Amino acid sequence: VTWNRREVLATFGVGAAHVLLGCGGAPPPIARPAVDAEEIRTWLREAVARLVAAGFPQARALAVSRWRTSAAVDALGAGVARSRSDGVVLATGSAEQVTSELSRAGVLAAVRALAATLRDPTPLEFPPPPPAVTEPRVLADYELLDRVTALAARDPNVSSRIVYSAALIDVDDAHVWAIGSGFDREQRIVRVRRSVTRVAWNGTRPVVSEAQRAFAGVVDDLDIPDGELFAATDHALALMTPTAFPDGEHAIALEPSVVAVLADAAVRTLLTTAAARRPEVGRRLAVGRKVASPTLTLVDDPTATASYGGYAFDDLGGPAAAVTLLDAGQVVGVLAPRHRAGHLGPLEASPSHLRLAAGTTDADHLVEDGFALEGGLSATVDPASDHVVVAAARAHEIKAGSRTGRVYADIELVGDLGPILASITGASAQTATFGMRDERDGLPRFRSIEAPWLRGRGTLRARRRPA
Amino acid sequence: VSDRRIDRRDLGRALSRKGASAWVVVERDQQIASIDQTGTTRSEQRTRWQLAVHVDTPTARGSAHVSLDAALGNADAIAAQAVDLARAGLGPAWSSPPPAAPARVDLDDGALHDPAAAAAHALPRTNAVGAAAIALREQVAVLTHAGFRTSWNATRARIDTIVATADHSLAVTCESRTLDGLATAEAIADAARDLDLLASAHAPISGPCTLVLRADALLHGGLGVWRAFVGQADAVVEREGLTRYREHTPVVPGADATAQPLTIASDGALAYGLESAPLGDDGEAVRRWTLVDGGVAAGLALSPREAALRGRNPNGGVRNLIVEPGAWTGPASGERVVEIRRLRSLTIDRYTGDASLEIALGVDRGVPFSGGLLRIDLIDALARAQRSAATITRGAYVGPAAVWIDRAELLA
Repeated sequence: VTWNRREVLATFGVGAAHVLLGCGGAPPPIARPAVDAEEIRTWLREAVARLVAAGFPQARALAVSRWRTSAAVDALGAGVARSRSDGVVLATGSAEQVTSELSRAGVLAAVRALAATLRDPTPLEFPPPPPAVTEPRVLADYELLDRVTALAARDPNVSSRIVYSAALIDVDDAHVWAIGSGFDREQRIVRVRRSVTRVAWNGTRPVVSEAQRAFAGVVDDLDIPDGELFAATDHALALMTPTAFPDGEHAIALEPSVVAVLADAAVRTLLTTAAARRPEVGRRLAVGRKVASPTLTLVDDPTATASYGGYAFDDLGGPAAAVTLLDAGQVVGVLAPRHRAGHLGPLEASPSHLRLAAGTTDADHLVEDGFALEGGLSATVDPASDHVVVAAARAHEIKAGSRTGRVYADIELVGDLGPILASITGASAQTATFGMRDERDGLPRFRSIEAPWLRGRGTLRARRRPA
Repeated sequence: VSDRRIDRRDLGRALSRKGASAWVVVERDQQIASIDQTGTTRSEQRTRWQLAVHVDTPTARGSAHVSLDAALGNADAIAAQAVDLARAGLGPAWSSPPPAAPARVDLDDGALHDPAAAAAHALPRTNAVGAAAIALREQVAVLTHAGFRTSWNATRARIDTIVATADHSLAVTCESRTLDGLATAEAIADAARDLDLLASAHAPISGPCTLVLRADALLHGGLGVWRAFVGQADAVVEREGLTRYREHTPVVPGADATAQPLTIASDGALAYGLESAPLGDDGEAVRRWTLVDGGVAAGLALSPREAALRGRNPNGGVRNLIVEPGAWTGPASGERVVEIRRLRSLTIDRYTGDASLEIALGVDRGVPFSGGLLRIDLIDALARAQRSAATITRGAYVGPAAVWIDRAELLA
């Protein structure tokens, strides 16, 4: 959910710059190198056929040509950064060979590395090639800068108390081929993230607030609604209650962004085949065990329409399919390693698009007396002990079903995950969706989560001591 | 995709032709091999390019970073794109510093010459679950607009594993530039000892205590608690006035008058240092510099731009952290000495240095416990802490193996 100033500055290159939009003629659009999909398909089919001939009947090939464009604007200026990544993964089942040389020679060299000697390809029946993917229009730098500048300028209420303000549009365009004996797949995934950040001082400490939209599609498909954009400013400017937060157990309403960071961390840390090898996790979260409230049903669904983490096929070449992880509080599945960071990294178990089932309660009427935790920042789950720490930007005090006006900054939900999940007694009908992007060894991982508000009980504590 | 292999000299010539005033091209040819406990192997050959390009006008400078993970492409098109990007973001003028001699540092362990064999050799085979070893060998070549060129070889290895008993487990990660530096056997033995303690661990008891942070807790997740000082050395954050202390002032009042004033340096020229390199990604020479000198803030991580704007020399940023050891030997003394051996999580506020330490394993007056929390102002606590005379080298850290903090509050 979180991106930070460092990410914005990174898009500027070494020198952040004052925006000089409109000065001089518009630069020409940057041409993306032409990718001949049919040629790449031919190389991959040949590689698979040669590997099968060498005695690897499970041979598979995955190729990617990925192009990332980030446009950002902040107080220091605006900038665009681009990066490109090509690669091929050949896998035999027990060995993988990866190369960044996306050419026939590069693919053949990878085959040679796996098979030692290059044999004539075995005649294999491949299914007919899938229909050609639609080529999305690549925006020129000035078009992206126009959009990000407009996004940054849309909120008229940014006062001088906002000490830092930024907007970002990040587009990751991946063209992926997966070919093996009996399958031939191709997909084009354009992932878009629009985000604004506002920072204001609260006493001696900065308060950071964000609004975000992440989806798969065309840059202009979705925008951040005005309400969410203005709320980001309001949250940054909100005067926080200066008195000490009453640490302890409380009734809580968790906003979808808080639920999202918790669900993401819990699934990645606990509900994977790798995590199940740890004795504590294997015991606590064995398939069939009831570990959470019946309110909670959690599905990993990469087929969700336009989801930021979704896809048509995974990095093993298998078609996308939903996996139910929790069914009414009972563990019914775990994630197997089917994804690669940037489609090129080592296989790992990772969620794609998590969907936590919505309930029927109105989000405004979840808690009578307690705290509403908003602005999920991060979550840490210790697989050995089940201990969890969820950091949230703020907690609103609620009394007799209404917000009292007291708002505390930087609050943590702490405790063991099991009791927290068991305490959930309600979910809102309203949901929100968040996109997440992180990197492993310089390669991106994309996930998204659709979550409702949740009602439960838990131990809250102030993250920072009063200034 | 063009069939032409990208060549750094072609790229350089193309950048000059397209009007770049200054540029740095970094090419990394990497061989990476990994193996896991099931015997699954993975080999990777990749070429990574990083371009830093600057375009100057009489009153402004535009800059762009372009990265490519590809072996093939068209040098002219890449250069044109980088120059256009730089022109799209003109800002205050500054000049690239003149090239300085790269740091002389050895980063190439001959034992990692064949990454696949090295990974197989390094893979732990006993008492471990889900072990994986990865080894990397890379050739780095740097070319700049001024005609400066240099290259070096570097190696790196990493082990990830879980040490487990029937009831408990601990994750172990070892990373080094050399195979010998991994010290995997020692790390697994330490984890096995801690698992024995975990088996008899009790619940924590709240109250004030004298705190001893042992190596695994001190360096949780890499630099551990010392990360509090890294955020304070960020030149951009310092320029914005968001750091807790400023250069040439004590990091906390009285930090320069303690018995063992704290001194922390960044050494990017440390032989086989995990973060060592002759040059940074912007072509700047990496230097040893001091973050904190005798309790006083002494320096900042300076990129070429930050250095130019301040009229100083770039230093390559925070690299390996060298913390001066203290004089403390023997056991810590106090009414209640709590030794923290491992953490579940460590959260540090980058602006204030306030930290939350969730305890995975501690020893309270000889009795092991698990759970509990410490809230510590790390800048203050570490500036006044006693540091052990014994030192360790782990990852990007060289310094005391333990610190002794006089006053802390353990929260159950």
